[in-house]
Amino acid sequence: MTVLILTSKDDVTADMVVTRLHDAAVPVMRLDPADLPVNTLLSARYAHGDFEGLLSANGHVVSMGGLRSVWVRRPGEPAAHADEPSAWLTAETRQALFGMLYSASARWMNHPREAERARLKPWQLRTAHLTGFAVPPTVVTTVPRLARQFAEEYGEVVVKSASGPPPGEPPMALPTTLIGPDSDFSGVAAGPALLQRYVPKRADIRLTCVGGRLFAARKEADPDQVDGRYGDTGHTWEPAEVPDRIRKSVHDYVDMAGLAYAAFDFAEDEDGFWWFLECNQSGQFGFVELETGQPISEAVAQWLSRPARG
Amino acid sequence: MRPFTLNYIRPASHPTAVPPYRFDDSLQLNVLPDGRPAVSDPELLLAVGTTASTAGSKTHFDD
Repeated sequence: MTVLILTSKDDVTADMVVTRLHDAAVPVMRLDPADLPVNTLLSARYAHGDFEGLLSANGHVVSMGGLRSVWVRRPGEPAAHADEPSAWLTAETRQALFGMLYSASARWMNHPREAERARLKPWQLRTAHLTGFAVPPTVVTTVPRLARQFAEEYGEVVVKSASGPPPGEPPMALPTTLIGPDSDFSGVAAGPALLQRYVPKRADIRLTCVGGRLFAARKEADPDQVDGRYGDTGHTWEPAEVPDRIRKSVHDYVDMAGLAYAAFDFAEDEDGFWWFLECNQSGQFGFVELETGQPISEAVAQWLSRPARG
Repeated sequence: MRPFTLNYIRPASHPTAVPPYRFDDSLQLNVLPDGRPAVSDPELLLAVGTTASTAGSKTHFDD
Protein backbone atom coordinates (compact mmCIF):
# COMPACT_ATOMS: atom_id res chain seq x y z
CA MET A 1 0.00 0.00 0.00
CA THR A 2 1.47 3.29 -1.18
CA VAL A 3 1.58 6.77 0.30
CA LEU A 4 0.97 9.46 -2.33
CA ILE A 5 2.52 12.88 -1.72
CA LEU A 6 1.26 15.75 -3.83
CA THR A 7 3.93 18.42 -3.81
CA SER A 8 6.45 20.32 -5.88
CA LYS A 9 9.89 18.88 -6.50
CA ASP A 10 11.69 21.62 -4.61
CA ASP A 11 9.75 20.95 -1.40
CA VAL A 12 12.53 19.79 0.91
CA THR A 13 10.17 19.69 3.87
CA ALA A 14 8.41 16.83 2.06
CA ASP A 15 11.86 15.24 1.71
CA MET A 16 11.98 14.95 5.50
CA VAL A 17 8.87 12.75 5.41
CA VAL A 18 9.90 10.80 2.30
CA THR A 19 13.12 9.86 4.09
CA ARG A 20 11.14 8.58 7.09
CA LEU A 21 8.91 6.53 4.80
CA HIS A 22 11.94 5.08 3.02
CA ASP A 23 13.43 4.13 6.40
CA ALA A 24 10.18 2.36 7.32
CA ALA A 25 10.06 0.59 3.92
CA VAL A 26 6.68 2.17 3.16
CA PRO A 27 6.12 2.57 -0.59
CA VAL A 28 5.77 6.21 -1.57
CA MET A 29 5.01 8.09 -4.76
CA ARG A 30 5.73 11.78 -5.01
CA LEU A 31 3.81 13.65 -7.66
CA ASP A 32 3.38 17.26 -8.64
CA PRO A 33 0.00 17.78 -10.36
CA ALA A 34 1.76 20.50 -12.37
CA ASP A 35 3.63 17.71 -14.19
CA LEU A 36 0.43 16.17 -15.57
CA PRO A 37 0.08 15.14 -18.33
CA VAL A 38 3.62 15.60 -19.68
CA ASN A 39 5.78 13.73 -17.18
CA THR A 40 3.05 11.95 -15.25
CA LEU A 41 0.48 9.46 -16.50
CA LEU A 42 -3.05 9.03 -15.24
CA SER A 43 -5.78 6.61 -16.20
CA ALA A 44 -9.05 5.72 -14.50
CA ARG A 45 -11.76 3.40 -15.75
CA TYR A 46 -15.33 3.48 -14.50
CA ALA A 47 -17.21 0.56 -16.03
CA HIS A 48 -19.51 -2.31 -15.07
CA GLY A 49 -20.12 -0.83 -11.66
CA ASP A 50 -16.44 -0.91 -10.81
CA PHE A 51 -13.61 1.59 -10.63
CA GLU A 52 -9.91 1.21 -11.20
CA GLY A 53 -7.22 3.80 -11.71
CA LEU A 54 -3.50 4.31 -11.71
CA LEU A 55 -0.87 7.00 -11.61
CA SER A 56 2.69 6.80 -12.89
CA ALA A 57 5.42 9.30 -12.06
CA ASN A 58 9.18 9.23 -11.54
CA GLY A 59 9.24 5.60 -12.67
CA HIS A 60 6.80 4.64 -9.91
CA VAL A 61 3.27 3.33 -10.41
CA VAL A 62 0.39 3.24 -7.96
CA SER A 63 -3.07 1.81 -8.45
CA MET A 64 -6.02 3.34 -6.65
CA GLY A 65 -6.67 -0.01 -4.99
CA GLY A 66 -3.17 0.13 -3.53
CA LEU A 67 -3.40 3.68 -2.26
CA ARG A 68 -2.88 3.97 1.49
CA SER A 69 -3.01 7.72 2.05
CA VAL A 70 -2.63 11.07 0.31
CA TRP A 71 -0.62 13.97 1.73
CA VAL A 72 -1.42 17.29 0.09
CA ARG A 73 1.68 19.36 0.81
CA ARG A 74 2.66 22.02 -1.76
CA PRO A 75 1.21 20.80 -5.08
CA GLY A 76 1.45 22.95 -8.18
CA GLU A 77 -1.59 23.83 -10.22
CA PRO A 78 -2.59 20.82 -12.33
CA ALA A 79 -0.97 20.87 -15.80
CA ALA A 80 0.93 24.09 -15.03
CA HIS A 81 4.05 22.61 -16.65
CA ALA A 82 2.24 21.48 -19.80
CA ASP A 83 3.61 22.48 -23.18
CA GLU A 84 0.57 24.69 -23.74
CA PRO A 85 -0.85 25.43 -20.28
CA SER A 86 -4.28 26.99 -20.02
CA ALA A 87 -7.04 27.51 -17.47
CA TRP A 88 -9.10 24.94 -19.35
CA LEU A 89 -6.35 22.31 -19.26
CA THR A 90 -5.85 22.93 -15.56
CA ALA A 91 -9.57 22.48 -14.91
CA GLU A 92 -9.73 19.29 -16.96
CA THR A 93 -6.65 17.87 -15.30
CA ARG A 94 -7.96 18.76 -11.82
CA GLN A 95 -11.18 16.90 -12.63
CA ALA A 96 -9.30 13.82 -13.80
CA LEU A 97 -6.79 13.70 -10.93
CA PHE A 98 -8.91 14.63 -7.95
CA GLY A 99 -11.99 12.86 -9.28
CA MET A 100 -9.93 9.68 -9.37
CA LEU A 101 -8.29 10.23 -5.98
CA TYR A 102 -11.61 11.04 -4.30
CA SER A 103 -12.95 7.76 -5.70
CA ALA A 104 -10.31 5.78 -3.82
CA SER A 105 -10.66 4.92 -0.15
CA ALA A 106 -7.40 6.49 0.97
CA ARG A 107 -6.97 8.61 4.09
CA TRP A 108 -6.17 12.29 3.49
CA MET A 109 -3.89 14.79 5.16
CA ASN A 110 -5.81 17.01 4.56
CA HIS A 111 -8.79 16.34 2.35
CA PRO A 112 -9.07 19.27 -0.11
CA ARG A 113 -12.71 19.72 0.81
CA GLU A 114 -11.83 20.43 4.44
CA ALA A 115 -8.65 22.26 3.46
CA GLU A 116 -10.52 24.78 1.34
CA ARG A 117 -12.78 25.75 4.23
CA ALA A 118 -9.96 25.70 6.76
CA ARG A 119 -8.00 28.26 4.74
CA LEU A 120 -10.71 30.89 5.28
CA LYS A 121 -9.36 33.11 8.02
CA PRO A 122 -12.74 34.51 9.12
CA TRP A 123 -14.01 30.94 9.47
CA GLN A 124 -10.91 30.13 11.52
CA LEU A 125 -11.77 32.90 13.95
CA ARG A 126 -15.31 31.64 14.42
CA THR A 127 -14.14 28.06 14.87
CA ALA A 128 -11.53 29.24 17.35
CA HIS A 129 -14.28 31.01 19.32
CA LEU A 130 -16.41 27.88 19.35
CA THR A 131 -13.55 25.69 20.53
CA GLY A 132 -12.56 27.86 23.44
CA PHE A 133 -9.54 29.79 22.24
CA ALA A 134 -9.01 33.43 23.18
CA VAL A 135 -9.25 35.40 19.92
CA PRO A 136 -8.37 39.09 19.58
CA PRO A 137 -11.35 41.18 18.40
CA THR A 138 -11.33 41.29 14.61
CA VAL A 139 -13.24 42.98 11.82
CA VAL A 140 -13.37 42.09 8.13
CA THR A 141 -15.01 44.88 6.20
CA THR A 142 -15.32 46.83 2.97
CA VAL A 143 -16.72 49.86 4.83
CA PRO A 144 -14.07 52.53 5.59
CA ARG A 145 -16.15 54.05 8.37
CA LEU A 146 -16.40 50.74 10.21
CA ALA A 147 -12.69 50.11 9.81
CA ARG A 148 -11.93 53.51 11.31
CA GLN A 149 -14.39 52.93 14.16
CA PHE A 150 -12.71 49.61 14.95
CA ALA A 151 -9.27 51.24 15.02
CA GLU A 152 -10.56 54.06 17.25
CA GLU A 153 -12.14 51.54 19.62
CA TYR A 154 -8.95 49.51 20.12
CA GLY A 155 -6.32 52.18 19.53
CA GLU A 156 -3.66 49.99 17.98
CA VAL A 157 -4.72 47.38 15.47
CA VAL A 158 -2.96 45.23 12.91
CA VAL A 159 -3.90 44.82 9.28
CA LYS A 160 -3.23 41.45 7.71
CA SER A 161 -4.00 39.76 4.44
CA ALA A 162 -6.39 36.83 4.57
CA SER A 163 -4.92 35.14 1.51
CA GLY A 164 -1.27 36.18 1.51
CA PRO A 165 0.56 38.50 -0.86
CA PRO A 166 -0.52 38.78 -4.49
CA PRO A 167 1.20 36.21 -6.70
CA GLY A 168 3.60 37.25 -9.44
CA GLU A 169 7.10 38.43 -10.06
CA PRO A 170 9.00 39.87 -8.36
CA PRO A 171 7.81 38.09 -5.19
CA MET A 172 6.20 40.38 -2.67
CA ALA A 173 5.61 40.18 1.09
CA LEU A 174 2.59 41.40 2.99
CA PRO A 175 3.52 41.26 6.66
CA THR A 176 1.04 41.86 9.44
CA THR A 177 1.41 45.57 10.11
CA LEU A 178 0.56 47.76 13.08
CA ILE A 179 -1.57 50.80 12.26
CA GLY A 180 -3.38 53.49 14.20
CA PRO A 181 -6.78 55.15 13.94
CA ASP A 182 -5.26 58.08 12.05
CA SER A 183 -4.65 55.89 8.98
CA ASP A 184 -6.38 56.71 5.70
CA PHE A 185 -9.05 53.99 5.51
CA SER A 186 -10.56 55.05 2.16
CA GLY A 187 -8.88 52.08 0.42
CA VAL A 188 -11.01 49.67 2.49
CA ALA A 189 -13.78 50.33 -0.07
CA ALA A 190 -11.53 48.88 -2.79
CA GLY A 191 -11.08 45.48 -1.13
CA PRO A 192 -11.99 43.68 2.10
CA ALA A 193 -9.64 44.55 4.95
CA LEU A 194 -8.97 42.37 7.99
CA LEU A 195 -8.17 44.39 11.10
CA GLN A 196 -7.41 42.84 14.47
CA ARG A 197 -6.69 44.24 17.90
CA TYR A 198 -2.94 44.30 18.42
CA VAL A 199 -1.69 41.87 21.04
CA PRO A 200 1.66 43.02 22.47
CA LYS A 201 3.56 39.76 22.74
CA ARG A 202 6.63 38.43 24.38
CA ALA A 203 6.79 35.35 22.17
CA ASP A 204 5.39 33.66 19.09
CA ILE A 205 4.03 30.15 19.48
CA ARG A 206 3.80 27.65 16.61
CA LEU A 207 1.84 24.55 17.58
CA THR A 208 1.80 21.73 15.05
CA CYS A 209 -0.91 19.09 15.37
CA VAL A 210 -0.36 15.80 13.53
CA GLY A 211 -3.20 13.35 13.90
CA GLY A 212 -3.77 14.49 17.47
CA ARG A 213 -0.09 14.64 18.47
CA LEU A 214 0.94 18.14 19.51
CA PHE A 215 4.32 19.81 19.04
CA ALA A 216 4.56 23.33 20.42
CA ALA A 217 7.49 25.64 19.83
CA ARG A 218 8.17 29.09 21.24
CA LYS A 219 10.30 31.94 19.95
CA GLU A 220 10.89 35.09 21.91
CA ALA A 221 9.80 38.25 20.15
CA ASP A 222 11.48 41.61 20.20
CA PRO A 223 9.44 44.27 22.02
CA ASP A 224 8.22 45.98 18.85
CA GLN A 225 8.05 42.96 16.58
CA VAL A 226 4.58 42.56 15.07
CA ASP A 227 4.95 39.72 12.55
CA GLY A 228 7.14 36.89 13.83
CA ARG A 229 7.85 35.67 10.30
CA TYR A 230 9.85 38.75 9.43
CA GLY A 231 12.98 40.19 10.92
CA ASP A 232 15.91 38.34 12.47
CA THR A 233 15.64 38.79 16.23
CA GLY A 234 18.51 36.47 17.05
CA HIS A 235 16.14 34.19 18.95
CA THR A 236 15.51 30.59 17.94
CA TRP A 237 12.54 28.24 18.23
CA GLU A 238 12.52 26.18 21.42
CA PRO A 239 10.18 23.33 22.45
CA ALA A 240 7.32 24.50 24.66
CA GLU A 241 4.78 22.89 26.97
CA VAL A 242 1.16 22.97 25.82
CA PRO A 243 -1.24 24.27 28.48
CA ASP A 244 -4.10 21.84 29.17
CA ARG A 245 -6.68 24.44 28.13
CA ILE A 246 -4.96 24.89 24.77
CA ARG A 247 -4.57 21.15 24.27
CA LYS A 248 -8.31 20.59 24.57
CA SER A 249 -9.15 23.49 22.25
CA VAL A 250 -6.70 22.26 19.61
CA HIS A 251 -8.26 18.81 19.60
CA ASP A 252 -11.76 20.29 19.40
CA TYR A 253 -10.69 22.62 16.58
CA VAL A 254 -9.14 19.92 14.36
CA ASP A 255 -12.13 17.66 15.00
CA MET A 256 -14.55 20.41 13.99
CA ALA A 257 -12.44 21.32 10.97
CA GLY A 258 -11.85 17.72 9.90
CA LEU A 259 -8.10 18.23 9.73
CA ALA A 260 -5.42 15.56 10.15
CA TYR A 261 -2.70 18.23 10.13
CA ALA A 262 -2.78 21.81 11.33
CA ALA A 263 -0.25 24.44 12.35
CA PHE A 264 -1.56 26.99 14.85
CA ASP A 265 -0.06 30.40 15.47
CA PHE A 266 -0.48 32.08 18.84
CA ALA A 267 0.78 35.29 20.38
CA GLU A 268 1.98 34.84 23.97
CA ASP A 269 1.21 38.04 25.84
CA GLU A 270 3.07 39.57 28.78
CA ASP A 271 1.11 37.38 31.22
CA GLY A 272 1.99 34.20 29.34
CA PHE A 273 -1.50 33.89 27.88
CA TRP A 274 -1.83 32.40 24.39
CA TRP A 275 -4.00 34.30 21.88
CA PHE A 276 -5.18 32.47 18.77
CA LEU A 277 -4.00 34.19 15.60
CA GLU A 278 -4.58 31.65 12.86
CA CYS A 279 -4.48 28.00 11.89
CA ASN A 280 -2.65 27.03 8.71
CA GLN A 281 -3.97 23.73 7.44
CA SER A 282 -0.72 23.06 5.56
CA GLY A 283 1.62 25.23 7.58
CA GLN A 284 5.35 24.74 7.34
CA PHE A 285 6.98 22.56 9.98
CA GLY A 286 10.47 22.12 8.53
CA PHE A 287 11.98 25.11 10.28
CA VAL A 288 10.46 24.04 13.61
CA GLU A 289 11.82 20.50 13.39
CA LEU A 290 15.25 21.67 12.28
CA GLU A 291 15.54 24.14 15.16
CA THR A 292 13.84 22.20 17.98
CA GLY A 293 14.50 18.60 17.04
CA GLN A 294 10.82 17.79 17.53
CA PRO A 295 9.99 14.66 15.46
CA ILE A 296 7.20 16.21 13.38
CA SER A 297 8.20 14.56 10.09
CA GLU A 298 8.22 11.21 11.86
CA ALA A 299 4.70 11.86 13.18
CA VAL A 300 3.52 12.78 9.67
CA ALA A 301 5.12 9.65 8.22
CA GLN A 302 3.56 7.47 10.89
CA TRP A 303 0.11 8.94 10.28
CA LEU A 304 0.45 8.44 6.53
CA SER A 305 1.66 4.87 7.03
CA ARG A 306 -1.43 3.69 8.86
CA PRO A 307 -3.73 1.42 6.82
CA ALA A 308 -6.22 2.89 4.39
CA ARG A 309 -9.89 2.96 5.26
CA GLY A 310 -11.67 -0.25 4.44
CA MET B 1 -8.39 52.84 -5.84
CA ARG B 2 -5.73 50.69 -4.18
CA PRO B 3 -7.08 48.13 -1.69
CA PHE B 4 -6.21 49.21 1.84
CA THR B 5 -4.25 46.06 2.70
CA LEU B 6 -1.94 46.54 -0.27
CA ASN B 7 -0.67 49.79 1.25
CA TYR B 8 1.55 47.55 3.38
CA ILE B 9 3.06 45.40 0.65
CA ARG B 10 6.81 45.35 0.08
CA PRO B 11 9.36 43.34 -1.88
CA ALA B 12 10.02 39.93 -0.44
CA SER B 13 13.47 39.37 0.92
CA HIS B 14 13.76 35.73 -0.05
CA PRO B 15 17.29 34.61 -0.79
CA THR B 16 17.93 34.81 -4.49
CA ALA B 17 20.61 32.13 -4.44
CA VAL B 18 19.66 28.87 -6.10
CA PRO B 19 19.49 26.08 -3.48
CA PRO B 20 22.47 23.74 -3.99
CA TYR B 21 20.36 20.62 -4.52
CA ARG B 22 18.35 19.04 -7.29
CA PHE B 23 15.48 16.60 -7.41
CA ASP B 24 16.40 12.97 -8.01
CA ASP B 25 13.52 11.13 -9.69
CA SER B 26 14.54 7.68 -8.55
CA LEU B 27 15.03 8.63 -4.89
CA GLN B 28 12.12 11.11 -5.01
CA LEU B 29 14.33 13.37 -2.90
CA ASN B 30 16.46 16.45 -3.42
CA VAL B 31 20.14 15.58 -3.40
CA LEU B 32 23.32 17.59 -2.94
CA PRO B 33 26.08 17.65 -5.58
CA ASP B 34 27.88 14.84 -3.72
CA GLY B 35 24.77 12.65 -3.89
CA ARG B 36 23.71 12.95 -0.25
CA PRO B 37 20.06 13.77 0.43
CA ALA B 38 19.61 17.48 1.11
CA VAL B 39 17.86 16.66 4.39
CA SER B 40 21.11 15.17 5.68
CA ASP B 41 22.41 18.72 6.01
CA PRO B 42 20.03 20.58 8.35
CA GLU B 43 22.40 23.54 8.69
CA LEU B 44 22.24 24.07 4.95
CA LEU B 45 18.43 23.83 4.89
CA LEU B 46 18.17 26.45 7.61
CA ALA B 47 20.64 28.67 5.78
CA VAL B 48 18.80 28.60 2.44
CA GLY B 49 15.46 29.21 4.15
CA THR B 50 13.45 26.77 2.05
CA THR B 51 11.75 25.27 5.09
CA ALA B 52 10.85 28.64 6.62
CA SER B 53 7.30 29.82 7.22
CA THR B 54 7.66 32.40 4.46
CA ALA B 55 8.84 29.83 1.90
CA GLY B 56 5.44 28.91 0.48
CA SER B 57 5.28 28.11 -3.20
CA LYS B 58 3.73 30.38 -5.79
CA THR B 59 0.52 28.40 -5.58
CA HIS B 60 0.24 28.22 -1.80
CA PHE B 61 -0.35 30.73 0.89
CA ASP B 62 -0.29 28.35 3.85
CA ASP B 63 2.57 29.46 6.03
